[in-house]
Amino acid sequence: MDIFINGSSVAVPEKLHDVTLLNFLRDFTGLTGTKFGCGIGLCGACTVHVDGVATRSCQTYVADIGDAQVTTIEGLAQTFSGGALHPIQQAWIDEGVPQCGYCQAGQIMTASALLRRNPDPTDTDIREEMNGNLCRCGIYDRIRRAITSAAQEL
Amino acid sequence: MGKNTDPKSISRRHFLKKSSWIAAGITVASFGAYRVVRANMPALPTFDDPGATDGLTWVQALNDGRIRFFCPRMEMGQGAGLGLSQVVAEELNIDQSDIDCILPDTDQTPPFQMTVGSQSIAHFFDPVSWAAAQLREALRRLAAQKSGLPVDQIKDGRAGFSLPDGTTVGYDALVPAAPVVVSGDQLVPDDALLRHALNGTDRHQAIGQSWRHPELKSIVTGQMTYARDVSIPDMAYGAVIYPPAFGAGFIKADTAKARAIPGIIGVEINKGDGFVGIVGIVADNPFVLADAIEALNVQWQVDENLNQTEIDARFDVEKIRADNDFDHTLLSSGDLAAGRQNARMRVAGRYDTPFMAHAAIEPRSGLAWVRDDKVEVWCGTQDSYFVQKRVAKIVGRKVDDVVVHTHRMGGGFGGRVPCQASEAAARLSATFNRPVRVQWDRETEFQNNYFQPRFSHYIDAGVTADGTISHWDHDVVSSSILTGLVPSFIGKVIDMAKADDGTVRGIIPQYTIPDRRIRYSAVRTPVPVNAWRGLGSAPNAFAIESMMDELAIKAGIDPLQFRLQNLPPDSDRLANVLRRVAEISGWGKPTLANTGHGLACAVYKDETAVAVVVDIQIDHTTREVRVTRVWCAQDCGLVLNPHQVESQIMGNIIWGCSMSLKEQITFAAGRVEQDNFHLYEPLRHASAPAVTVELVVPIDTAPSAVGEAALPPVPAAIANATFAATGRRNRRLPMTYENIFADTE
Repeated sequence: MDIFINGSSVAVPEKLHDVTLLNFLRDFTGLTGTKFGCGIGLCGACTVHVDGVATRSCQTYVADIGDAQVTTIEGLAQTFSGGALHPIQQAWIDEGVPQCGYCQAGQIMTASALLRRNPDPTDTDIREEMNGNLCRCGIYDRIRRAITSAAQEL
Repeated sequence: MGKNTDPKSISRRHFLKKSSWIAAGITVASFGAYRVVRANMPALPTFDDPGATDGLTWVQALNDGRIRFFCPRMEMGQGAGLGLSQVVAEELNIDQSDIDCILPDTDQTPPFQMTVGSQSIAHFFDPVSWAAAQLREALRRLAAQKSGLPVDQIKDGRAGFSLPDGTTVGYDALVPAAPVVVSGDQLVPDDALLRHALNGTDRHQAIGQSWRHPELKSIVTGQMTYARDVSIPDMAYGAVIYPPAFGAGFIKADTAKARAIPGIIGVEINKGDGFVGIVGIVADNPFVLADAIEALNVQWQVDENLNQTEIDARFDVEKIRADNDFDHTLLSSGDLAAGRQNARMRVAGRYDTPFMAHAAIEPRSGLAWVRDDKVEVWCGTQDSYFVQKRVAKIVGRKVDDVVVHTHRMGGGFGGRVPCQASEAAARLSATFNRPVRVQWDRETEFQNNYFQPRFSHYIDAGVTADGTISHWDHDVVSSSILTGLVPSFIGKVIDMAKADDGTVRGIIPQYTIPDRRIRYSAVRTPVPVNAWRGLGSAPNAFAIESMMDELAIKAGIDPLQFRLQNLPPDSDRLANVLRRVAEISGWGKPTLANTGHGLACAVYKDETAVAVVVDIQIDHTTREVRVTRVWCAQDCGLVLNPHQVESQIMGNIIWGCSMSLKEQITFAAGRVEQDNFHLYEPLRHASAPAVTVELVVPIDTAPSAVGEAALPPVPAAIANATFAATGRRNRRLPMTYENIFADTE
């Protein structure tokens, strides 16, 4: 079985078909940008894109990926534009969003999927879409500002 | 601090030699200033404040002219290293691009104070500035030597010096090839040392700028290495099973069945130390650990008697008050009985806050490799030297044999002084002779770390006919945070001898009250407690500032006015932030039905003055209490990095909303009930208020605490706003809709 991660085909060993995408990414492919937070899909730290849709990798099994394209934080900019940074990542830097930064890969993956679907989100859209991503440092205000400014850039 | 007779001075010289620390570039170092550290005592956290000259080993000029700063603070998102880099840059006249700020491993600097208590800037600003200035002066002397000019003709220039003939000389041209250590009589005496960081703010070039953290790009691209992301070749994967309830005893485990699973290297039962875990298991790949843990089917002897009712009974302040049985009188002045006589109206109330968890998003992780030559540990911790000592003890090695490689933490909040996962990893590595990684999951993180203790307050106070506070009779019961992890038989003795400063942090109201008494008792329970953001400051301010609101309302005085008129004359800084927050929030404006404003203030650690106003909204349809807006005015003195300080304040406000509305740890059948975010859910995006921050910076003030400072007034402000919106006084956290309207259910 092969799956596509950040545009490349990755062979999945037989024994790992039924592990979570999160564990596969972190402990088999070495892509550790996607984070473990809760293991039950409640914190959003493990968010990746599956065919462009924000998906909790701790609740997704490798065998269920099929032909879909998996994009992680490491491949976000490349997949989006071939550039060094996705506009959301740039906005995160410009706004100086991260504090500890641990949840931010998940926040960025959720936010970039939102803008893909809805390029001009309202404050309410942002609040609702981002509600599944916990930030214990409490930097929600800056996250909202960064998403709004990235939407204006796009 | 700074005793020259200190025998530890040898250690510092030894340290520099042994660690090849001086291998590159020019360095300043003093050998006479090493304070008495508690190195000979078993594995205590690193308490000592930095000494005046500790900074000497932190700042280094490299051959290429760049400045290397071994930041004596751990990074958990607060960005202390960034602010202190700006201090270094100020002294050395350099830009952000000229400095490398390094999170030091334990073999890169001598031990420094654990990163807690919002002390990083307040305690380290001065020694860092002093050290960087000494380095600049050492470089100036080299420039003088090189040019043959007197030192006083070598003037400061950007990343170097300018000479009388108009030429410039950069640091890169001055740093000699051979290592140089500046110390002893080469140091400029304090009274002759130029200190740019101490100049007025209008003359700063680096301090006061909103430098962005250099690690932002690696964070947003997934390249940042947290402890959980570290791996090394031939690493084995460990897991540890902790007792499921307080004091649970191990009975048995099916180790044979677990060992039979392909990939399992071994199982270790260790009944000695619950902190390190009882059952350890190691595999050659991480994917079989879950099955192996299930196969182990560990059986425990659990004492199920401890439950919430019993815990609550131990913290019943009213009962202890009725028995008149408090361990400590923290303050007693004037005559309470006479004060009560002067009251035109009186209010008495009991305020309760629950046990709470840190719930940092990164569950802790440790990787350890115990070898004959040395022991290496990779982890995120607020005290790497404590982890070093703990690991040395666990694997029976000398402290000097252990190196802790430090990583940015995915949140700290007081919860990462020890790193239990590293301790377990070290033990397993020693047993199985492999590097071993141990990662806690969310359930382990919730159930096996320590907590913020419960607080129960009772305040009886009143207002005189002229609007002053007639008396203040405050009793509080909680647990000692300092001795929270100390065995009970020792802890009890310490608790009786002295009230814990952390638990009672902020317990003395900032108002003029001649007739007052504050008493405290520490209760010991099986629940492990220790540092949590702000320690006692938020629970204590919740009680004090709720009572201030109750008094103001009962006396028919505006709560802002009531506070201002009861502040002592020397409280300008607090009065200013109160007035300022009132202005920016439009204090006094009319409100719609089911909405309300609330005000509260606090002075954190007797230095940082904070006032907040919150707007709340009650939604009876969804049965929700929502904080919709928060305004905060803070005076933390000199601000090194406004962006970073504003972020810290925002974080404190959200933390305060979360603890006020959402958080509590409860107990049943001898164990913690919460194990993941469905049962302990911090505030989320959709419920997060917009936060407006205003920094009030009086001229010529030293920087003071930031990391926890804005938290204390938030819960009371929310309670006060809730009263304004509903006419209901909520004296118990969390303030859920159900709690607020409990008697109407």
